[in-house]
Amino acid sequence: MRPAGAGALAETRDLVTNFYTFEGVVHALNGVSVVIRRGETYGLVGESGCGKSVTVRSLMRIVQAPGRIDSGAILLFLNDSDQGAGIEILERTETYMQSIRGSDISMIFQEPGAALNPVLSVRDQVGESFRLHRMEQMIDETLAGLEESRRGMRSGSPRRLVRALQGALLRAESRGFKRFAAAVSRIDAELAQLESRDGAAARIRREALNYARDRARPRGGASAVARRIPLLRRYRRPLDATIRRHVVELLRSLGIPNPANVAERYPHELSGGMQQRIVIAMALACHPTLLVADEPTSNLDVTIQAQIVELIKDLKRSTISSVLFITHDLGLVAEVCDRVTVMYAGDVSETAAVAELFARPLHPYTQGLLASVPKVDQREELSMIPGAVPNLIRPPEGCRFHPRCPRRMEVCSREKPPAVEHLPDHWVACHLYPPAVRKAAGGPT
Amino acid sequence: MSLVSYVIRRLLFMVLVLVGVSLIVFTMMMLLPPGQRVAIYVNGDRVTPQMMDRLIAKYGLDEPAPLQYWRWVSNIFRGEFGYSITASAPVWDGFVRFFPVSLELVLLAAPLIILTGILLGTLGAVRKDTPTDHFTRIMAIVGFSLPTFWLGLLLLMVFYGFAGIFPPSQMSNEVRNVVFGGGFHQYTRLVTLDAILNWRWDIFWDAFYRMILPSVNLAIINSALIMRLMRSSMLESLGQDYMMTARAKGADRRTLIRHHARRNAMLPVITISGITFADLMGSMVITETIFDRKGIGWWMAQAALQLDVPAIMFDVLFLGTVYVVINLIVDLIYAWVDPRVRLA
Amino acid sequence: MKGRTMETSTDRRLSAAHPRLKELLFTLRRFLKNPLSVIGLSLVVIFGIIALLAPVLAPPKYPDPFRIPHTGFRIEPSPPSAAHPLGTMQQQYDMLYGLIWGTRSAFRIGVFVVAANLLIGIILGVLAGYFGGAWDEIIMRITDIFFAIPYLVMAMALVVAIGRGLKAVTIVLIITGWPSYTRVLRSDILVTRGRDFIQAARASGASHLRIMINHILPNAMYSVLILASLNIGTTILTAAALSFLGLGSETGTADWGQIISLCRNWIVGAPGNRFAYWYVVFIPGFVISLFVLGWNLMGDAVRDIFDPRMRRR
Repeated sequence: MRPAGAGALAETRDLVTNFYTFEGVVHALNGVSVVIRRGETYGLVGESGCGKSVTVRSLMRIVQAPGRIDSGAILLFLNDSDQGAGIEILERTETYMQSIRGSDISMIFQEPGAALNPVLSVRDQVGESFRLHRMEQMIDETLAGLEESRRGMRSGSPRRLVRALQGALLRAESRGFKRFAAAVSRIDAELAQLESRDGAAARIRREALNYARDRARPRGGASAVARRIPLLRRYRRPLDATIRRHVVELLRSLGIPNPANVAERYPHELSGGMQQRIVIAMALACHPTLLVADEPTSNLDVTIQAQIVELIKDLKRSTISSVLFITHDLGLVAEVCDRVTVMYAGDVSETAAVAELFARPLHPYTQGLLASVPKVDQREELSMIPGAVPNLIRPPEGCRFHPRCPRRMEVCSREKPPAVEHLPDHWVACHLYPPAVRKAAGGPT
Repeated sequence: MSLVSYVIRRLLFMVLVLVGVSLIVFTMMMLLPPGQRVAIYVNGDRVTPQMMDRLIAKYGLDEPAPLQYWRWVSNIFRGEFGYSITASAPVWDGFVRFFPVSLELVLLAAPLIILTGILLGTLGAVRKDTPTDHFTRIMAIVGFSLPTFWLGLLLLMVFYGFAGIFPPSQMSNEVRNVVFGGGFHQYTRLVTLDAILNWRWDIFWDAFYRMILPSVNLAIINSALIMRLMRSSMLESLGQDYMMTARAKGADRRTLIRHHARRNAMLPVITISGITFADLMGSMVITETIFDRKGIGWWMAQAALQLDVPAIMFDVLFLGTVYVVINLIVDLIYAWVDPRVRLA
Repeated sequence: MKGRTMETSTDRRLSAAHPRLKELLFTLRRFLKNPLSVIGLSLVVIFGIIALLAPVLAPPKYPDPFRIPHTGFRIEPSPPSAAHPLGTMQQQYDMLYGLIWGTRSAFRIGVFVVAANLLIGIILGVLAGYFGGAWDEIIMRITDIFFAIPYLVMAMALVVAIGRGLKAVTIVLIITGWPSYTRVLRSDILVTRGRDFIQAARASGASHLRIMINHILPNAMYSVLILASLNIGTTILTAAALSFLGLGSETGTADWGQIISLCRNWIVGAPGNRFAYWYVVFIPGFVISLFVLGWNLMGDAVRDIFDPRMRRR
């Protein structure tokens, strides 16, 4: 929608994602451009099926088959060194994405009951975040603990020998992880440098680096063998204990009562609100820069909803840099978000700061949406948008909203309206606001 | 609900089912004229026609059915199962002779069946709609449609008849002479295991070699069901929301498939292992007949041909018992794997 | 989420027709688009034609057409020739004749047995599923007992009890085959019974029978019918296995299992030509496999189509 301004954290440009289903191609995203800035809570609003979820899933590259990102760009500006051009993640390998997901960007889901694996305990599932992204740290802490306990033991005692063996194996594993991390960061740095460069040489080098990135695995030497042998495998027990400690600590920090007990539970033994807290714990384990919340409260009781929203707001203040909040609930948007984008049928309709959007909705769809929300002092009948969400296998030509639009013009069925900055930092994609003309102030109504 | 009381309740249920099985067996056999049922009550030696009438009277074979049922059941509890003409021995002796042969084959074939089914099913699901998937699917449905007896005959024709390898029967004549000739200690009566315990690798190899073709036969036919179920339940698992959560967490493909999807996908497969076992027993009858292995299945087929009533009644009861026990074990495994199951 | 919204709007366009008819058309379209199901259907149709035209394709020689004519008593099979296009079996039974009339027996056994199984299964399933309570308990325990005995073993024991021959095999398979239908139908009825529209029908005062026939059965029947299609194959295989073991029809009957059991002695060829008799072993088994494969492919495709999880992908 706009070039990445200062402070952008993630950006999509003309993102097109399609689903190749049995009935035909579902054109789920029709060139979506959004910018999430550093430090803000950004909202994506729209009716169900408008492409909110697909947008964030594309952003994390976890669109499920038969969906595919067909064109566009996704840029991430995770640390200051990327601030220039950003990382184009569609060019990166799947293993690179794996290192980002859950670590720099993480996600919480609509239905906590379904989002948790029924056969794994809370400890397994939350601990997995640490296992996937913080293994080095976990091993080092375990080693420190082992060293500590070994010092208190008599030299030559069998328990001390066991500790020594455990330590040796863990150290081997740790060395493997360190070498792996070094190799990976070297590759990533070089890839970031090559990002902006064109030409055959750069492309070949990029391919080679991506290949190497995909192949890189932490190699643990002797520990890799020991891990496969039943009894010897138990050398990792202190490591499991360390991870468990972190899990319990994390659960406690999220205000979960009796965390040590909850950690050993299975998802079906917990209430919906508690399950959602566990999902949040999984997402927060590695202190992400961006937390994506995909309708985190829509399947919860109202009181629990409020608690979860409070929790996310708290966390936003204390730990996470930015939150991308997806919802169909305009009231929630007003309460939580700084800036908001309204989506309709795979198109971005309007983007503005929350107060601005509620005060001066420009797009007819936004206007309709706001008018359809009941207010406490509502007297007249609630207005609604006539018609239904279009079939995205054969979406309407031009502006996808035009069949339902009260202010439709002849051009609307022909051309897709471009996004225009009609007011300062208030973008709208509608033929009512042609790019050249820029009004001084006020909406059309 | 504690494990112990669950198991006790299940055992009571087992007894109920077994009583039902015994009733069915008994009802079936009551359809036969008394003369053919005499052997059930005779232990030790053959019945000659001259003795028949006397024996019918002696064992009350023309008395009311409930009385006869009672007598039969109490005989079973005394361990008296009658005389089997196909085994030329009392039924229990026949069982002791034939059972290890079948057990040996099942112990080799069952892991083969389960592994093939699970691995190929997973492969098909993970590579959905690729040539691998189509191939495994077609293999499964063809395996499902092949008559056990025909596949066995084809395997024998190609490998033994044409190439001269993988001969049928349990062991070669020389080996049989050694095994039953003294000097060879039969610890377990499983020839392969005994051969190892006696440190006779030649015998082990001879017996093992002859088990390969029958196991393959059983595996091709019986892994089809597991393969199909594994594929579809794996596909279902892969489509669940928790897979999305795991991906969003940054899990790699291997973790996703092994740690998250397969554990869930295994659950339905565990549930049907009882059915798989029953199918396997059916296939065993045919496979042992074709490959000339004198096990329980072969015995059953011979007994049915020669109207060896005691052997048939015993086999049906035995297989029913095994089925019920296996299902109990399966349920316990299920409860262990799936935390949601309360043993209620 | 995306896909689901799409479906409903597609459906809305189609919904002019009666919903059940629309569903049927949709199913038919999917069925015909799937190559495997088309192969399955063609196989079944071809076998059906063979069975129907049996008197034309292989004119019977004896009053009982199911007795295979044989020319002589020579033990050794002879290879295909003009007089015997597929060769002859042991004792010079004509292979082609046996296979053609065997198709007829296969249909007779398969269709008759499965129809009878269905009838018994549905009656008991309805009793158990709809009326519940003691009915349910008793019927389900009986199916438990039947399931505890391997199908083939049970059939063998029964054959011993009531005698051999095709008629006996048919009866045996009817007695042993029904429990799976009862189980499936019962659980489907239980699921359907809990659904909202049944509650609504009951609240509006419809009678038990009416609810059962008009609302529950049509919704619960699909899986039973699919099971029936898949089970025709299994039934034929079991019947053939019984014949193969010597417990089915008499020697010389046009019955596939019987034909194979006549051929099992010929897996080892003559000296010097180890594949001398391959045709005797290969051909009849191949025909059975194709027949069973046809039914399985069909049943499989229908199941995939009706499986709500697999349905619209």
